[in-house]
Amino acid sequence: MIYHLLEKLDRKLHFRRVKAHCDIPCGIYDPIIAQIAALTVVRMIDLMTGLEGGEKKDGLEYHNTISRYISVKEEHAEKAKHEIRVIWGDYLKAQHLEKHPQAHELVHKIMQLGSKVRQSANRETAVEFVEAINQFAEIFWETKGITTKRAKAPYAPNLELVYPNL
Amino acid sequence: MLRIQRVQGESLSPEYVEGDFVVITTLPFFLCRLKTGDVIVFQDNTYGLLIKRVEGFEADGGILVGGTHAQSLSSHLLGPVRAEAVIGKVIWHIRRPTHN
Repeated sequence: MIYHLLEKLDRKLHFRRVKAHCDIPCGIYDPIIAQIAALTVVRMIDLMTGLEGGEKKDGLEYHNTISRYISVKEEHAEKAKHEIRVIWGDYLKAQHLEKHPQAHELVHKIMQLGSKVRQSANRETAVEFVEAINQFAEIFWETKGITTKRAKAPYAPNLELVYPNL
Repeated sequence: MLRIQRVQGESLSPEYVEGDFVVITTLPFFLCRLKTGDVIVFQDNTYGLLIKRVEGFEADGGILVGGTHAQSLSSHLLGPVRAEAVIGKVIWHIRRPTHN
């Protein structure tokens, strides 16, 4: 009754509107950034391995190049972790987590793998990192009602990534 | 001292939804202290008059705000709200009858 009274008053007095906004691009989430970052980690390990197998391993050029690869590996491992944390913390809602209760455990696994690939140059761990993020991407797209497919990335290291069927 | 305003948008849904009315008090804050969980109306230079929930306070008095909706504008984007930008605090929420 009070509501209807206020509604009538509103038609005459036009109460000011207070905006509970949701309509700017803060709703843009996409796991592809994390997937590509994880793929970059594998690529850097491959480049480091290639360099290590070469002949010149003690010159200034060698140290400069290997440092750059390590730096990019560090940066992208952290970037992947950051992107996953944002989607997990800001996008996933209670109803998503009810449907995908494994998401928490998966995110924790991604965080752990992200740290491991920084601490080492183990390719297997890095591939596992990519795959865990792929699994997260499958959950993410499912929450949006979008099916996914797996296809090899068209660039080295050509690992399989999860893509949305748009 | 008291103002009636109407909610637009869904960032505080499902608690506050489009079309709800709110009564706010514009009493100075030394008489009506804000606390975490309060819903406030404030003026933002970019987005105009906004309604958000108080999520915390900074050491220098800045107010951190957010919505309940995943895509809500929050202090991550808005920055902390200055006390002088706050118009008032919601003291009565009149829901749309269809809203449970």
